[in-house]
Amino acid sequence: MNNNVFQAESIKRGLVLDPRTKLLLLVTMSVFVLSSAGGKGLEFLAPCLCIVPFVLLLTSKKFKSTILYAIIYLTAIMMLILLRPITNGVVNFLILGTAGIVTRFMPSIMVGMYVLSTTTVSEFNAAMLRLNVSEKIIIPLSVMFRFFPTVLDEFSSINAAMRMRGISLGGKNVTKMLEYRLVPLLTCSVKIGEELSAAALTRGLGGNVKRTNVCEIGFHLQDMVIIFLCFVPFALMLLSRCGIL
Amino acid sequence: MIEIKNISFRYENSESSVLNDISTKIYDGEVVLICGESGCGKTSVTRLINGLIPHYYEGTMVGEVTVNNLDVSRSELYETAKLVGSVFQNPRSQFFCVDTTSGIAFGCENMGLPENEVRKRIKKVANEQNINHLLERSIFNLSGGEKQKVACASVSAVYPSVLVLDEPTSNLDIHAIYNLREIVHEWKRQGKTVIISEHRIHWLLDICDRVIYMQAGAIQMDCPMEEFSRLKPETIQKMGLRPLTLNYHQYIKKTSRLQDTIDFHNFRYSYKEKNNALNISNLSLPRNGIIAVIGHNGAGKSTFSKCLCGLERKFNGSVTLNGLKIKKQKLLKKCYMVMQDVNHQLFCESVLEEVRLGMSEENKDKVEEVLTMLDLTAVAERHPMSLSGGQKQRVAIASALLADKELLIFDEPTSGLGYRHMKETAELLLNLKGKRSIFIVTHDPDLISSCCTHILHLENGCVKESYPFDEIGEQRLEIYFDEIKKEVTIL
Repeated sequence: MNNNVFQAESIKRGLVLDPRTKLLLLVTMSVFVLSSAGGKGLEFLAPCLCIVPFVLLLTSKKFKSTILYAIIYLTAIMMLILLRPITNGVVNFLILGTAGIVTRFMPSIMVGMYVLSTTTVSEFNAAMLRLNVSEKIIIPLSVMFRFFPTVLDEFSSINAAMRMRGISLGGKNVTKMLEYRLVPLLTCSVKIGEELSAAALTRGLGGNVKRTNVCEIGFHLQDMVIIFLCFVPFALMLLSRCGIL
Repeated sequence: MIEIKNISFRYENSESSVLNDISTKIYDGEVVLICGESGCGKTSVTRLINGLIPHYYEGTMVGEVTVNNLDVSRSELYETAKLVGSVFQNPRSQFFCVDTTSGIAFGCENMGLPENEVRKRIKKVANEQNINHLLERSIFNLSGGEKQKVACASVSAVYPSVLVLDEPTSNLDIHAIYNLREIVHEWKRQGKTVIISEHRIHWLLDICDRVIYMQAGAIQMDCPMEEFSRLKPETIQKMGLRPLTLNYHQYIKKTSRLQDTIDFHNFRYSYKEKNNALNISNLSLPRNGIIAVIGHNGAGKSTFSKCLCGLERKFNGSVTLNGLKIKKQKLLKKCYMVMQDVNHQLFCESVLEEVRLGMSEENKDKVEEVLTMLDLTAVAERHPMSLSGGQKQRVAIASALLADKELLIFDEPTSGLGYRHMKETAELLLNLKGKRSIFIVTHDPDLISSCCTHILHLENGCVKESYPFDEIGEQRLEIYFDEIKKEVTIL
């Protein structure tokens, strides 16, 4: 099962970016690609920004996703450019719809995937701490990230057990599948949660001193480049709003 | 020094008290084993020392516990955490973080130690315990033994003077147990006080200085290890404890039966990360016996059992039983695995409903017969999740029997059990001998010698040896366990 949410193994990562840079990148992508905030004058920005996830995924050595992304995105763009002018009616509408959704959503989703698969929980915590976010928000968030993979783990064992009992699509107990899955999942999650908090408490969580964090985060050259890249569209937008461009 | 003075404790929602007027002193640098049958209160004693009782597990408590003059029951848990480090049974639920390095740093970070100091400590601890290769890894890609090593490192990094281990080997294989032994040894060398509550005693014989034996919430015996290790095996057995030495001398006389066999063909499987995790072209094993599947970590034991259960989708092998060739989908119908964590496989609202779930046709008499055999009639109406561990295991077995499963596979059924419960499980398996073919993936020598009839030794995905468990088999098994011990021990 592919559960790579915040579980990067630091040895395997390529180019390391600061989590804060990644957040900025995510915001920029959503603003300009997902919601095209630039307006008509800045339409050229979206395709340019779409190259960013391509490069990032390459640096993190996720070749399969990179190629898939490139193919799907290019196909969608080609459809928009080549097919839209020569079709009409329902076909035109369908092409516009699917290709539009792909070109809008895909780049942001890919950046999101990149962020989740290359950041560890402690990096995320360290970044939040530097941004002066309260521990009352950080700790629950980090518990959440700890819990996703745990639940997936339990889920695959439960699934195996269900298959051995003949509870599957097409079996005689289809209607009860959800219930059968939830009962053991809840029991196991509650148990793990309880043991986890006991362990965390005996390791001194919740003390009266400010926690430190050993994770080395900081801005490097590559961060500067990305941050600069992120500011360009914002600056352009500002300029065009002021009527200069 | 740890001082426990006249402690009595009763958990909330429990009818009787778990500890009755316990008093003892543990001196600095002592390594103490607390043993006794399940439910004797040994885990509660460890919880007293690390403060989880009464701060996390609430209840009524009388008496006083001090660790280095700190009154544990009255001070906050994060104060106690600086003095006492704790390692628990379940390696899966001890980490707050998802990667190992932050897991080790966690305790120090909570104390607010400066970053450089924490980094220095991680390095030092990793060197001491030989786990440099485990740093910077995702917790979810480690084996149970590796997780337990990281857990030990994470408590060491805080530099506590007292370490408390609560049944640390429950989920570990024998290899990992000997590794843990090295770590405890290192702590002992550093002069730390170590308190271990444990079922399996053999690995602690030459490390512990003192043994506390508990029964029904009271200390029954408190003596130096030399004295304890001189006790006769019969006495140890009467006390409800696992044998002190790994012993294989009680094998069951093999009765000559029909030489029926199960034949395995083309048992091959590769993972994305690992080629040939399993690579057996032909194998014959006796039918309706109890077969112990042994081998090192990563030898292919769990891949073997998953393939046998038909759980691996890309698996193409087959099993011949009764002259019938059984392939993937059919294997799913014929085999059943009782998992290490039985909670994963109990779905229904009552035991009765649970065991009926997989039956092809309703058959009241058969249900009753199986429930009686497994001693479950009294709890037939209860919710499976409200039962004890052993009862849950029996419910899982009952459901497998009623669903006409021919092959039963058990994944480490007894590693966390005390002597009596282990024996009960062995009896249960012996009851099934001759009716079903049973495979036990296990590292528990006591269980093997109590019930197995055949040994299948896997190594690197291949069959290294396969032999009946008789006089010669017993010697071969002994050699296997000795070798593991030698591999790990560097003392």
